[in-house]
Amino acid sequence: MPVQHGHFTLERVYPASPARVFAAFSVKEKKQRWFSCFDDLESVEIELDFRVGGHELNRLKPPGAVAHVMRGTFHDIVPGERFVEAFTMHLGERLISVSLLTVEVRAEGEGARLTLTEQGVFYDGYDQAEREEGTAVGLDRLGEIIAAGLL
Amino acid sequence: MTKRSTSHDTFRIERLYDAAPARVWRAISDPAAKAKWFRGPPDVYTTTEQSMDLRVGGRERLAGRFDSGMTTAYDATFHDIVEGERLVYAYTMHLDGTQISVSLGTMEITPEGGRTRLVYTEQGVFLDGLDTAAQRQEGTEQLLDALGRSLSEA
Repeated sequence: MPVQHGHFTLERVYPASPARVFAAFSVKEKKQRWFSCFDDLESVEIELDFRVGGHELNRLKPPGAVAHVMRGTFHDIVPGERFVEAFTMHLGERLISVSLLTVEVRAEGEGARLTLTEQGVFYDGYDQAEREEGTAVGLDRLGEIIAAGLL
Repeated sequence: MTKRSTSHDTFRIERLYDAAPARVWRAISDPAAKAKWFRGPPDVYTTTEQSMDLRVGGRERLAGRFDSGMTTAYDATFHDIVEGERLVYAYTMHLDGTQISVSLGTMEITPEGGRTRLVYTEQGVFLDGLDTAAQRQEGTEQLLDALGRSLSEA
């Protein structure tokens, strides 16, 4: 079954410094505060070793559904500004995507603009629109956490 | 001080090889067969390291040096392997020790008459103006031509 190649970019401007926004991705304790595209979860497991060659694991289990397991490797990091990560996503045992994630943060006015780009290989009926939607929910959550002063 | 930038690009290259799918699969999946075509130009490039461990999570490396002194390193990790049909991998390129790109490569093989179609798709992040998709595509076209020539050798 052929795979599909897709590509999307999302942007947000947050009322926080670039360093704080970047730390939301690079510091495990901060990432845990916002990282989820689900409203309720049976369990969450997050591992984060933020360095070139380091790995990330996010295992999110919604009630009554299979776990979404994201495994990533960091390939490029410019501290405070940018990182590029290759990651796979599995639903249970099934591979549903292989992607590159680029996150760039820069100052804008009093806050920070975040630009997220995903370039992905999508498998068997799992499509880009779902990924884009889930990612957008995550970035909105990050905005809520920042606005609530919880980052 | 490096001027930071990223360029996100996708390119796709197709070849129709006059060989059976199993031979083309071997050319991209067997370390000895791959080493016949996956390398720098032999008249100006010396390979210093070449290895391939084809399994999910396995690595591939090609490192070497041009006569000019410039060093290159290709480092890949395999993420999806479908025997005879498909490879998906992430790879980085370094020139003189500086990382110039991070990319996903997809190779898909399908039979066509008695021949084999190979489609290569690269989705790349080209870093800090140090390389372009156009240059990467050109280099890749040459490699896939070399793959074709290797199929007609013993």
